[in-house]
Amino acid sequence: MNQYFDAKYIFDSIPVLIPFLKVTFMVTGFSVLFGTLFGFLLAAAKIGKNRWANKMAHGYTTMIRCTPSIVLLFLTYYGIPYLFNQFGIDLNSIDKSVFVVITFSLQFAAAMSEVIRTAYESVDKGQYEAAVSVGLSSAQAYRRIVFPQAFVVALPNFGNSLLALIKEGALAYTIGLIDVIGKASLIISSNYNAHALEIYLALSLIYWVVSIAIEQLFSKLERIFGKGKQALKTV
Amino acid sequence: MSGGLDWGFLVKTFFIALSGAPTALAITVVALLIAAPLGFLGALTRINKIPVLHRLAQIYVSFVRGTPIIVQIFIIYSSVPILLTSLFAKFHIQADVYKVNPIWYAFIVFSLYTTATLIEVFRSAINTVNKGQLEAALSVGLTTVQAFRRIIIPQALVVALPNICTATTNLIKATSLGYAMSLQEITLKAKVAANVGYNYVEAYIDIFLIYLIICSLVEYGFKRYEKYLRTYKTVNA
Repeated sequence: MNQYFDAKYIFDSIPVLIPFLKVTFMVTGFSVLFGTLFGFLLAAAKIGKNRWANKMAHGYTTMIRCTPSIVLLFLTYYGIPYLFNQFGIDLNSIDKSVFVVITFSLQFAAAMSEVIRTAYESVDKGQYEAAVSVGLSSAQAYRRIVFPQAFVVALPNFGNSLLALIKEGALAYTIGLIDVIGKASLIISSNYNAHALEIYLALSLIYWVVSIAIEQLFSKLERIFGKGKQALKTV
Repeated sequence: MSGGLDWGFLVKTFFIALSGAPTALAITVVALLIAAPLGFLGALTRINKIPVLHRLAQIYVSFVRGTPIIVQIFIIYSSVPILLTSLFAKFHIQADVYKVNPIWYAFIVFSLYTTATLIEVFRSAINTVNKGQLEAALSVGLTTVQAFRRIIIPQALVVALPNICTATTNLIKATSLGYAMSLQEITLKAKVAANVGYNYVEAYIDIFLIYLIICSLVEYGFKRYEKYLRTYKTVNA
């Protein structure tokens, strides 16, 4: 077994891989941005009274939840250029990361719409009514009363969705994006597939550390923003 | 690529891809069957804070949930053959490790993955049951095993069911990554069929539809079962 496994490769590959986390984080960041915006729209449709919008938003969420990320990824990667091709627009030169961002924005939006909806519904309606009755405008009531409370509820779920997004984002290498995993498979193929296990272990360590860091960050954030909640309860 | 969708191919590939569904479902069922008891035991070690095991379970869950499943697949797929080769060499077993059906690797990977999920699901579900329930059951003379089987588990199961449903659909979706182990399931079968004429759009629409159908059915089934368990609960109350 000694000739197959050499722990040295784990530690040698980590410094090579870490710079490529930048790509992973960039893709994740854009997906979070667009996904959250779209998620807000979906949540608004779910909360709102329009029956068609309601059905469509729920249908969309179910559909996305039932689709493996890799299938969605390839569906956008092959499907979107195909659709544009029908109108005579050539998208072949577009960067791969765009498709990755589109895919994971679509997916994150579905998750976020549920996070936002449950957070919104967790705030008692009386809070809004009380705010309006003391003379706040509707926008003020949302901004100052409803949103800060909903935010605390949404935070842990947002953190979980973010973690899931980062892990699912690992699949971006399948369409040729050079993120951490893409780089790892490049290293492996340049080694003629030797010591693949060590590189994969290095990858798992990197992801593990990132996940733990994000988890810690969110539990800290929860404590900071949850403070007001405790104070309100005692009054 | 230009021109409309190839509908004939779309329909034909749908059935090719569907023929991979039994593999995906077999992996799901086997993984759940292996993971359920392990997950339950893991949850018990976490709840009862059994010295070493509880830490191990915690680290295990943290690792599996903190790394992408594709990386876990890669690790198992590249480490198990190495382990097996050295074992075979030690015991002089004549067998070629590289001829093992990839489904065995899939069983290992997805069982390990699901165990971690279920540990957390069972832990939170058992925690929702009031401690007094166990004490009351013990005080009327039930053994701990009986108390769990008749009092705690029926109550915890109702709470756990939505999470088990999510875990199951996630597992079914994760089997699509079996292609990395050249496992003949839905995704790989459709992809291979598409390789001939570059009909990737059609192939992925097929795969998408099949997962949509399977997951919707699973979710529906779980909802029905949950409803059944809930009525059972109110009738008894």
